[in-house]
Amino acid sequence: MKFVRKALDATEKRFFAPGKPFAFLYPLYDAADTFFFTPNAKTSGTCAVRDCVDFKRMMITVVLALLPCALTGMYNVGLQANRLMEAGATAPTDWHGAILNWINGFYPAIFEPTSVVGCFLYGLVYFLPIYIVTMIVGLGWEILFAAINKHEVNEGFFVTGFLFPLIVPATIPLWQVALAISFGVVIGKEIFGGTGRNFMNPALVARAFLFFAYAGQISGDQVWTAVDGVSKATPLSYASQGVDALTNAGYTQASAFFGTIPGSLGETSTLACLIGAAILLLTGVASWRIMASMFVGGMGLAAIFAGCPSITEAFPAATLGPVWHFVLGGFAFGMVFMATDPVTAAATKVGQYIYGFLMGALVIVVRAMNPAYPEGVMLVILFGNCVAPLIDYTVVNANIRRRVKRLEAR
Amino acid sequence: MNNESIFKTFGVATGVCVVCAIIVSFSSVALKGLQDQNKLLDKQVNVLKAAGLVPTDGKATKAEVAEKFKTAEIVVVDLATGAVVADADPNKVESDKTNVVALTPEQDVAKIKTAPKQAVVYRFNDETGALKTLVLPISGTGLWSRMNGFLSLNADLTTVAGLVFYEHGETPGLGGEISNPKWTAKWNGKTAVDETGAPVVKVVKGTATDAATEVDGISGATLTCNGVNGTIDFWLGPNGYGPYLKTLRGDAPATEAEAPAEASEASEN
Amino acid sequence: MNSAVKENIVQPLFKNNPVFVQLLGICSALAVTTNLNNAFTMTLAVVFVTAFSNVGVSLIRKIIPGSIRMIVEMAIIATLVILVDQILKAFSYNLSKQLSVYVGLIITNCIVMGRAEAFAIKNGPTVSLLDGIGNGLGYGVVLMIVAFFRELFGFGTLFGFTVLKTVNNGGWYVPNGLMVLAPAAFFLIGGIIWVLKTYGKGMQDDE
Repeated sequence: MKFVRKALDATEKRFFAPGKPFAFLYPLYDAADTFFFTPNAKTSGTCAVRDCVDFKRMMITVVLALLPCALTGMYNVGLQANRLMEAGATAPTDWHGAILNWINGFYPAIFEPTSVVGCFLYGLVYFLPIYIVTMIVGLGWEILFAAINKHEVNEGFFVTGFLFPLIVPATIPLWQVALAISFGVVIGKEIFGGTGRNFMNPALVARAFLFFAYAGQISGDQVWTAVDGVSKATPLSYASQGVDALTNAGYTQASAFFGTIPGSLGETSTLACLIGAAILLLTGVASWRIMASMFVGGMGLAAIFAGCPSITEAFPAATLGPVWHFVLGGFAFGMVFMATDPVTAAATKVGQYIYGFLMGALVIVVRAMNPAYPEGVMLVILFGNCVAPLIDYTVVNANIRRRVKRLEAR
Repeated sequence: MNNESIFKTFGVATGVCVVCAIIVSFSSVALKGLQDQNKLLDKQVNVLKAAGLVPTDGKATKAEVAEKFKTAEIVVVDLATGAVVADADPNKVESDKTNVVALTPEQDVAKIKTAPKQAVVYRFNDETGALKTLVLPISGTGLWSRMNGFLSLNADLTTVAGLVFYEHGETPGLGGEISNPKWTAKWNGKTAVDETGAPVVKVVKGTATDAATEVDGISGATLTCNGVNGTIDFWLGPNGYGPYLKTLRGDAPATEAEAPAEASEASEN
Repeated sequence: MNSAVKENIVQPLFKNNPVFVQLLGICSALAVTTNLNNAFTMTLAVVFVTAFSNVGVSLIRKIIPGSIRMIVEMAIIATLVILVDQILKAFSYNLSKQLSVYVGLIITNCIVMGRAEAFAIKNGPTVSLLDGIGNGLGYGVVLMIVAFFRELFGFGTLFGFTVLKTVNNGGWYVPNGLMVLAPAAFFLIGGIIWVLKTYGKGMQDDE
């Protein structure tokens, strides 16, 4: 470790200290420095609380919690593709295909639907390029803004950069990844002042950008399996025709729960999301109030919809019921990782209940009643982000009024 | 000078009103002729586009349109019976408020709630007076709003000669592609109805597998395509032009001039 | 005279632009900027209306009673807008069909009313005419810039001519659907204001 310290100090003196050629890139150096060492900056006041769980540790916990989703997601990409190829689909012919064939040369199991490692590798060929592009482009913007605004590069992007690849389809063109993450980071975060000041989740902003800009490819009515020439409806667009269409298409609640259905890269497996939720809740990083109330709001409304004949008649998707709604699409993923983002969620305790409940219920309303959007989680959480400050404001003011009254009564 | 007196206030108000009213009414009256002409021309261009007489992606000159539209025979059809209404005025039928019939939800596959009792169709005939192309106005609800267009059939009354949507509010780039000539061109030559006269042509998701009756879907626009399917189904079906098409097919003795020509056309197919 | 021309026409184009600096007329800038043809027609229409409403208001500025000042201004503007609408319908039917209600909505464009109220009511007809033209053009410049980006990236065309051939027409360019939606105009206008406030000479807030 001493060697690293020395090397860092030397580079700082040579390149990044004020007046040296790369002084404008000091944030870059700073990022590397604080990656290895705890910053020795101290509070100047007399009163300070030191907690080991600093911002960086918190972010790492989230990344850790996301790992199960990423791993099962990659496995699933390979599984879906290999199953389809077994059924007669052709292997991809683009550069992904070239890499797959090259691996196939010494590891044939990559085309085996039964091989766990093979399927995982297959998925990795798709996931890794998306992840790398996201990181390079996103961090590029991050460093640029840090250099201009003269603040340090923030670890917040590690979470955004990991979340985003998990909510896009595996077959997304890389230039779209670059464009979307640029939009997400710049418009969703940096123009509001960077990490901690954004009012919307940048990963979701990026995803929403894709949804509106390239709706033809991303609108969710096509399945994105990593093989050539196969396009069929996603489970959710079957779901919009009612529960029978869904089961007829061969989907079961179990397969949706374990995540062996087509969908975006990392959000198919409800089980993996629940493991992530356990990690986040045990470490106290995410708010259990938001998760619980969103769960109750969503499942409650789904149950009411499913039990109400006049609604199920008018909207076939309402027949789904709570269990299906929970295991399908991005509900679990959004609930665990997106809704609980501490920067964009409601901050007051009562506010968090309202915030979660509102979003859960709204997801079901969008899914069941709007034929144009079979999946509503992304837009609903963005909407929730927008109203969170209003919820907090109302809660705080109500509290103030109550206390004023109590004081007056005395 | 006091501007605030009642007399002055009324005076200025009246003056301004009179001047404005004169300008507005003058412009409205003076330009009415040109505007009506434009409206008519716009409609004629779209009819001709559907009939394939002017290119769907290019622009036609006024003279060209007027010249070509002269060959059109404008016919008012009673939809329920399929009979031609000889004494109806085509210019009045479309604005006639009593000319509607409510549809039951089962009938209403195009989601338009009401259909006209009588409709104006355009026949393009060859020199002998035999039908060459038949242009039918259609409308239905897409994803967002009403789509209006023209569907034209060839002389065999079975294959599509052209399709044009001239008015719609679908998402540009997605559902809006229904007005892209590249997409509507895919309809040309498809078999619209089967032997019994039931509509068979439809837009499918993805790539068409049956070249005769299926049209490639527009990616990302499933609901607009469903709307197009509903529209075609309705207007070619029993509540749309179905009865009229049936009369046309079976009317060999009724209109003498057409009988031999239609027979020969049919044998070609 | 020369300096009056310069001040009244050139100032609103950039330095005192009604949209970028005064943030007026944003609503219609969202609606008519999906392509350059629409934006250009709208520019002409707005220039016409602002210029002549300014002249009209300026001519009778000395006899308008204060109590009905706004209503008189509104009547003049409304008349001009109807005139533009009628002329478009007669001579450029396709454009008027595409612009649909937005020509009529020039009436609600704050720039027109704003100039009548802030400038024409206090100044002579000639400078008012120049001011009207300048502000109309200032609005038009914004429309054209926004429409340039929206049409190029949303449809791959400029003034209807193909620049980037789109996939649907057999080319390579995947059009950006966001550009076609109204929020894109917000992002673009916001972005341009951002750039101008940061780098534009004399446009910073604190000056």
